[in-house]
Amino acid sequence: MTQQDDRLLTSLGDNEDSAIVRFPAGKALVQTLDFFTPIVNDPYWFGQIAAANALSDVYAMGGLPYTAMNIVCFPIKKFPKEILREILHGGMDKIREAGAVLAGGHSVEDEETKYGLSVTGIVDPDHFASNKGLRAGDHLLLTKPIGTGVLATGLKADWEGSEKFEEILYRWAGMLNAAGGEVIRELDLIGATDVTGFGLGGHLLEMARASKVDVVLRLGDIPFIPEAVELAGMGMIPAGSFANKKFCASLVEIFPQCDPLLVDLVFDAQTSGGLLLGVPEAKVARAVEILEQHGALAAYVGDVVVFDPDRGSLRLHP
Amino acid sequence: MSTRILECQGLPCPQPVLRCKDCIESDPGTEMVILVDNDAACENVTRFLGVKKYEVVSTEKDGDTWKLTARPSSTFTLDDDASAETNEFSQPRDKGTKTLVFIASPVIGEGDDVLGGKLMQNFVSVLPELGSDLWRIILLNGGVKLAITGSPVLDKLQALEKNGVSILVCGTCLEFFTILDQKQVGETTNMLDVVTSMQLADKVLSM
Repeated sequence: MTQQDDRLLTSLGDNEDSAIVRFPAGKALVQTLDFFTPIVNDPYWFGQIAAANALSDVYAMGGLPYTAMNIVCFPIKKFPKEILREILHGGMDKIREAGAVLAGGHSVEDEETKYGLSVTGIVDPDHFASNKGLRAGDHLLLTKPIGTGVLATGLKADWEGSEKFEEILYRWAGMLNAAGGEVIRELDLIGATDVTGFGLGGHLLEMARASKVDVVLRLGDIPFIPEAVELAGMGMIPAGSFANKKFCASLVEIFPQCDPLLVDLVFDAQTSGGLLLGVPEAKVARAVEILEQHGALAAYVGDVVVFDPDRGSLRLHP
Repeated sequence: MSTRILECQGLPCPQPVLRCKDCIESDPGTEMVILVDNDAACENVTRFLGVKKYEVVSTEKDGDTWKLTARPSSTFTLDDDASAETNEFSQPRDKGTKTLVFIASPVIGEGDDVLGGKLMQNFVSVLPELGSDLWRIILLNGGVKLAITGSPVLDKLQALEKNGVSILVCGTCLEFFTILDQKQVGETTNMLDVVTSMQLADKVLSM
């Protein structure tokens, strides 16, 4: 299958029950798992997106992906095997791009296709980023645009322009968050997360709560995917995104003049979204430089401010 | 023209929107009654109809079901595929005067607090007379005591809230009187909401 990787002490070709992995001394493990149902029609790209999404959790902590295992559910009697092969191929390409090694996997027959990875990364135990690392004064940088949940809903509805939506999803949801991870490591950032199911607002609120700070998001500075804004206006907001907004409502302060449509998009559930980084002002210039070098966005979407018990933890400005 | 009834209960988003789209495409200009069972669908359908130049003339909630009645608005045209260009998201919901009632004491006026308390009781009881103009009630300082267990107007305020009147209760004040856990009506609020509410209101009645 693939050439034997130094990290693996067992061989994939020998049908072992488990993989034995050599691990560098003095490092800590980052362990994560994520899988979901197809959000695009092309199986190869679905594989890439699902893998990029699972690998993202490691990058968000400032880790480097080390090994990955496939998680597969597939209706083998209903669909040709080629489709499964394409999905796995897409996943494999992302694992390689991330510099990790495939260590195995597990598949079950299921009514509905699902794919993802269990990823193990390595991180320096004294230097990693987490939800609780935001500090007042940090700039909030976002590395991918917002709106993939709405786009996926439009695609599911086969709305006019679906091909374009799919291309945008390939480009952004299929992109690794490696650049953001590099920023965390090089600049020793301590506050970061990746933007996924709870939406930009939900994840940022989690960080604010964990860090005991308040945060301000400026709608005008958030890179919304234009097609997603248009679709949202046509009623293509998934129920999950509404649920996010409702769940967070008591902790959110929405300034007048905020476009309600953009407020909804702040809570749009993202698939394989970007990293949200808390960057001290002195490190912002270098962070932007690294991100832009790698083709990621470096959108300065808001600020971290001191906690005020009388105000909403997340404040949305126009 | 006949009315089409779209039963969209149990359908996940964006199915209800697609049903409306099909209906408008197959029978342009028809009146529609759309039944949905979650607020996401309600919101999405309302937005979609707005873009399609439809007016939702009424939204009724019965148990778990919303009933949206929609008809083409005066600007409706049969061929408007370029509708995506027009953004009509933020239509005001009610056309009446938005009246805000600001209550900063459990009693009305000075002189005698027993009398003042009775007057307040009367005042709140008669507030429904403002009809749909009554938009929001804000309770501050001693006024928050009207929202707690044992308040003589609690049932009146609860009835108003049930009828769609927004009631905001100052969190700082509830904490000050250490009655935060006794609040029985309204949403806990902060000064920013109070100031913003005053800005948004067409009329503020300050007690």
